[in-house]
Amino acid sequence: MKAYVASVGLEKVGDHWSESLLDLAVGASLKALDGRKVAPQQVIVGNMFSSAGARQEHLGALLASSLGLKGTPAYKVESACASGSTAFDVAYTMVKSGAIDSALVVGVEKMRDIEPEEVSLALAMAESVEYTQFVGASFAALNGLLARHYMERENVSRDELSALPVLSHANAVTAEHAQFRKAITPEVVSRSAMVADPLRLFDCAPVGDGAAAALVVNENAIGRAKSGLAEILGGAIATTEFSVYERKDMLRFEATEMAFKRALEQAGLPASKVGLIETHDAFSVVAALSLEAMGVSKRGMAGKDAKEGRFDLDGDIPINTFGGLKARGHPVGATGVYQIAEAYLQLTGAAGKNQAKDLDYAVTQNVGGVDTSAVVHVFGRAR
Amino acid sequence: MAIQFWRIRDRYYRLMGNRCDDCGARNLADKDMPRTGKILTHTQLHEPLPGFESEVPLNLAVIELQNGARVLAQIVDTPQEKIETGAKARAVIRRVRVDGDSGQILYGYKFVVE
Repeated sequence: MKAYVASVGLEKVGDHWSESLLDLAVGASLKALDGRKVAPQQVIVGNMFSSAGARQEHLGALLASSLGLKGTPAYKVESACASGSTAFDVAYTMVKSGAIDSALVVGVEKMRDIEPEEVSLALAMAESVEYTQFVGASFAALNGLLARHYMERENVSRDELSALPVLSHANAVTAEHAQFRKAITPEVVSRSAMVADPLRLFDCAPVGDGAAAALVVNENAIGRAKSGLAEILGGAIATTEFSVYERKDMLRFEATEMAFKRALEQAGLPASKVGLIETHDAFSVVAALSLEAMGVSKRGMAGKDAKEGRFDLDGDIPINTFGGLKARGHPVGATGVYQIAEAYLQLTGAAGKNQAKDLDYAVTQNVGGVDTSAVVHVFGRAR
Repeated sequence: MAIQFWRIRDRYYRLMGNRCDDCGARNLADKDMPRTGKILTHTQLHEPLPGFESEVPLNLAVIELQNGARVLAQIVDTPQEKIETGAKARAVIRRVRVDGDSGQILYGYKFVVE
């Protein structure tokens, strides 16, 4: 059976002082449901830390009851920063198999109701409490360790690394749902405050609230009409050694390698056909290592490729076409669904000023931890 | 929450651990680890986790011990310019932080550059 994304709903990422976690989730859900006359047979919420961020759990039932979907199975899926895409993968697997015909996937995160150091602690929970948190290492610290290793071993310059956040910011200027719609220069990155040496503020995705929804359907739910659909051609999740510092080669994003390979195999698509990638640029170094793991760039070359324009909207293979995690924003548990919604907008020709040309296939790559979990999906135009 | 750290105090005090070299599984008996190694990579963290505010900026490093095992740890009692990739480091026992709920003082390994 074929599975499709039939519609999406996006809340702007940012400081939603007047909206609660539930308000955001309902807002994105209604936008996705309004587009189609399909009642979801399940509601699956992707979220990382609503317990810390809003002192609220049981999000599935909370959202379903607020949407008036009495009787509908509903639950939350958690896999750190990959929660959104993991929730989507559960929906895709069930809808593709025919076990159910439709599911509403909603990624949501409320990060701004708590203090910044509480956000750091909540994010650090994606890492070992006994060996990473215990020594005082935040998530940014792990990525700082990784970035130095990358720059020293692969001889990568500050400016090459900066090209990745510069690119994401350039694409966000015309993205209505992006948190920071402002272009930046490499100097803005290299002069910004040090967070975890050598990573600076503009190497790091911001903190923000957000929610994104996608309605997943199969042919039983949607009939033969193919307008406004993006087909889900493949999807895979992979995990590897839990903490980045215990891996033989810290610079190899093996979870992404495995998930990318499996998802493309499932789609029956050679890597050369992939026309666009929404990649996980939570930190500049993570974007670089992700692109290298997917074989888009050679080792140590991702920043250089970005600098030369290979990943621009009109380049060889556009990436992060609405600003990525860095500029669209990274409401962690929602991020994977934002990426999928953006791939949908691109493949249905609804990306407006951010539209990539002549696009047939798009890939989304979302990771939890420092590539501890990786989730990759492959999408194509509905035929 | 201190009990979750008390439970594995031998690992913190004596630098013990285990891992299968073939598959990475961790259900083996703990062994003492060598107490010296070299810095594989390092960072200076400016935005601390709760409980570490007084130690900012915090120097952290991945240390490869003499048997190839890796440990993530703070670097202390070392001039900044000596914290560099490849530097030899030695484990010491230090106060880590005070548990917020119980007030218990938690101790564990940190490293100094030799």
